[in-house]
Amino acid sequence: MEKIRIINLSKRYGKVVAADAVTFSVGDKEFFSLLGPSGCGKSTVLRCVAGLEEPTEGEIYIGRTRMNSTADRISVPTEFRPIGMVFQNYAIWPHMTVHGNVAYPLKLKKLAQDLIESKVKSALHTVGLERLADRYPSQLSGGEQQRVALARALIKEPEVLLLDEPLSNLDAKLREQMRFELKDLQRRTGIPILYVTHDQAEALAMSDRLAVMNVGRIVQVGTPTDIYTRPVDRFVADFIGLMNFVPGRIISREGESATVEFFSGHRLSVADRSDLGGECLVAMRPEDISLSPTGPIRCRVEVRSYAGHLVDYKIRADGAVLRVQTAKTEIYQEGEEVGFAVERAMLFAARES
Amino acid sequence: MAAAGAFVLLIVIYPLWQVLFRSFLDAGVLSLKSYQKVFSYPSYYRALLNSVWVSCATAAMCVVLGTLLAFLVTRTDLPLKKTLRTLLVLPYALPSFFAAIAWIQLLGPQGYLARLVLQVFGFATVPWSIYGAGGIVFVLTVHYFILVFITVAGALERMDASLEEAARASGAGTSQIMRQITLPLVLPAIMAGGLLAFIGALANFGIPALLGMRARFFVLTTSIYYALAIPDFGLATALSSMLVLVALLTMALQFGIQRGESRFTVISGKAVHPSELKLRSLRYPLFLLISAVVVFISILPILSMVLTALMRYWGAPLSAANLTLQNFAYVLKFETAQRAIMNSLFLGAVSATVAMFVGTVISYLHVKAKLKGSRVLDFLATIPYAVPHTVIAIAMILAWARPPVSLYGTLWIILVAYLAVYLPFAVRTTNSTLQQVHDSLEEAAKASGAKLLPRLRDIILPLARPGMIAGWILVFMPALRELTVSILLYAYHTETIGVVVYNMQDAGYREIAAALASIVMGLLILGNTIIRKLTGGIAGF
Repeated sequence: MEKIRIINLSKRYGKVVAADAVTFSVGDKEFFSLLGPSGCGKSTVLRCVAGLEEPTEGEIYIGRTRMNSTADRISVPTEFRPIGMVFQNYAIWPHMTVHGNVAYPLKLKKLAQDLIESKVKSALHTVGLERLADRYPSQLSGGEQQRVALARALIKEPEVLLLDEPLSNLDAKLREQMRFELKDLQRRTGIPILYVTHDQAEALAMSDRLAVMNVGRIVQVGTPTDIYTRPVDRFVADFIGLMNFVPGRIISREGESATVEFFSGHRLSVADRSDLGGECLVAMRPEDISLSPTGPIRCRVEVRSYAGHLVDYKIRADGAVLRVQTAKTEIYQEGEEVGFAVERAMLFAARES
Repeated sequence: MAAAGAFVLLIVIYPLWQVLFRSFLDAGVLSLKSYQKVFSYPSYYRALLNSVWVSCATAAMCVVLGTLLAFLVTRTDLPLKKTLRTLLVLPYALPSFFAAIAWIQLLGPQGYLARLVLQVFGFATVPWSIYGAGGIVFVLTVHYFILVFITVAGALERMDASLEEAARASGAGTSQIMRQITLPLVLPAIMAGGLLAFIGALANFGIPALLGMRARFFVLTTSIYYALAIPDFGLATALSSMLVLVALLTMALQFGIQRGESRFTVISGKAVHPSELKLRSLRYPLFLLISAVVVFISILPILSMVLTALMRYWGAPLSAANLTLQNFAYVLKFETAQRAIMNSLFLGAVSATVAMFVGTVISYLHVKAKLKGSRVLDFLATIPYAVPHTVIAIAMILAWARPPVSLYGTLWIILVAYLAVYLPFAVRTTNSTLQQVHDSLEEAAKASGAKLLPRLRDIILPLARPGMIAGWILVFMPALRELTVSILLYAYHTETIGVVVYNMQDAGYREIAAALASIVMGLLILGNTIIRKLTGGIAGF
């Protein structure tokens, strides 16, 4: 069953369109991400779901209940929505202890004191903070504040959890660790999550499905694999992961494959279901290019940078500069003349409409 | 929202409208007769001219004094800079008419410094007079230079050090950097500070009243006081409208400068401290000079006030035998003074509480709830900031001293006037306090299921409390020593501390006035210390 359903949601601030006819839904127990560059409208959509912004148009359902409908003038205030929310800056109340922060949603529900105590205890246990219950937020690290925010969002047992770039204020190491913890937490609790981020690695690593947004619109919805391997347009291809683009020309088509000519006469057969013809853009992931002394296309190594688990090259071939990533066992010198082969490629229209 | 709107309408807008409206009314008919009167009698248009030139002269002197001191205290290696700075700012915590009284005690006929000069140089009379235009400009400058000092010191401190370092790296010497880089960059701050000093001098009543009326030197505020004593409401309102007009023009100019300043944002909030200028051999001579200035303008007036309060009678020779505590005892037993203290405490506490309450409501609607129309409300509530207090007092007489609602002669009319005067201060402090409470903290409470009242009670008010308390004291303290509004609105039994000090001084009981003033001074300095503690030095003087 769908836990969040958003139908034709638009939000305009004067003439600025923050969200434009956004439609998607989040299933039960699903981890769903909204991914896009800053200013693409992803946070606006999340804040509309939370009821912190009024949509200009559209409908929002949480569970079976209609939260917003501009047509029927329905707008449920945030405090009555079955949501838990974690903010980018955590928004931990500085004048309350960890315990006070986490217990607050239950106090508002006027639950019995001993029930509150036991629930707070188990929530703090879930996020691993039981020993810090009496601390004030200023005595906590960023990661600990993050966990307080999570516990506070989960304690009222909401139907959905809304996360607004919750990891962006943490340092790189902690961010990776929290990715796993969040994913693990979601498995254990089974709560559906709507997650907003501009970090594509984060979205790919955690989501069951994700929606890529650009200038207020959803460009593509799919699983991480879908989006990484079959981006619908040049924007998604460029935004997700690393991508090399070079000009090419389609010279023939046969079923679901096309033969493209690039790098001065070099030909490659590419799986492609589009109806492109003639001039096009050939897109290649760095890991889909293999370097070898005898590779069919000649190139020169311009820059080599060692990244530990792999080696990152910038090579120049036929006037174009390409990023190539190889296993750390293959070492070529800067300035060396080598060759490369393209193992997989995608085709896009030469000019974006 | 509606209640807050009605409050602002009744307390601010309706009375001020009455002033403008009445200035065009003659015997119930619209006319320009009051304005014709202003320009046909030399004594009235001279008041306008006097106001303008006295304020200009004050502003110019404040700019010179304030800028020099600001530079020395922020950008050089002068010793004890922090102490100097605290002491320089101190006199501004005291009301301006206290300054006038203290300077009469120091420089007036028989003043302490005057007597010293006579003894040392053997003159028959001192070669100056504290009464008149010169004395007024002098005391106004000593009181208001701090406005230039604070804005310029702030700008100098916030200036990005790398701008000067880049000039040095390009080969500019120290004096070139000062003239070609530093000065142009802080020029907007200097001008803004100068305009603030101009507005302060223009709206001031206490100083020209105590120093000018005796010499028959009138400015707009004292002329309005005089016109009300006749009473000639047409004249008083016409003069008031002109006073407000000049103040508004100056403020518009200041807004323009602020806008221009924010356009090139080189003065950023960065914490990089600009380099200090090494004074070398000038370090101690300059320190002595500045210390002398600080003693002269900050310490001497306070000492003089306390000394006068301890004198057996004004003008007595300075000797231990002539020192006594009887003035304090007299003040505390004197019925009018007792009543005035009670009245001022009542007015201060009630106006601070009501102003902060209404201010909080307006700020919440504007800053947090962001309701439509709340911006207009916020703007209307800050209008009195631009209106000299003399005019506010007249507005209250016109609006609330006639049937059907006649509050004249009661404490209530003074209270209403105080509310109008202090509402802008309350709104400003609550605005900045609530802005510091990040929006997401309230949103998190909403997401936790908290409705409006729990949100205010559990999250917003507790977080805003230190700022609120500081704001309360910031209204209470100036209300406690208020003169301009009360002197125009008081009646027998509704005197305030300011009125009693002024009347005592005016009637020649200077040691009694000084005793009461000393008590208030102690309270004000104490209150100021509390505010600085509460806000970590952000608010207070």
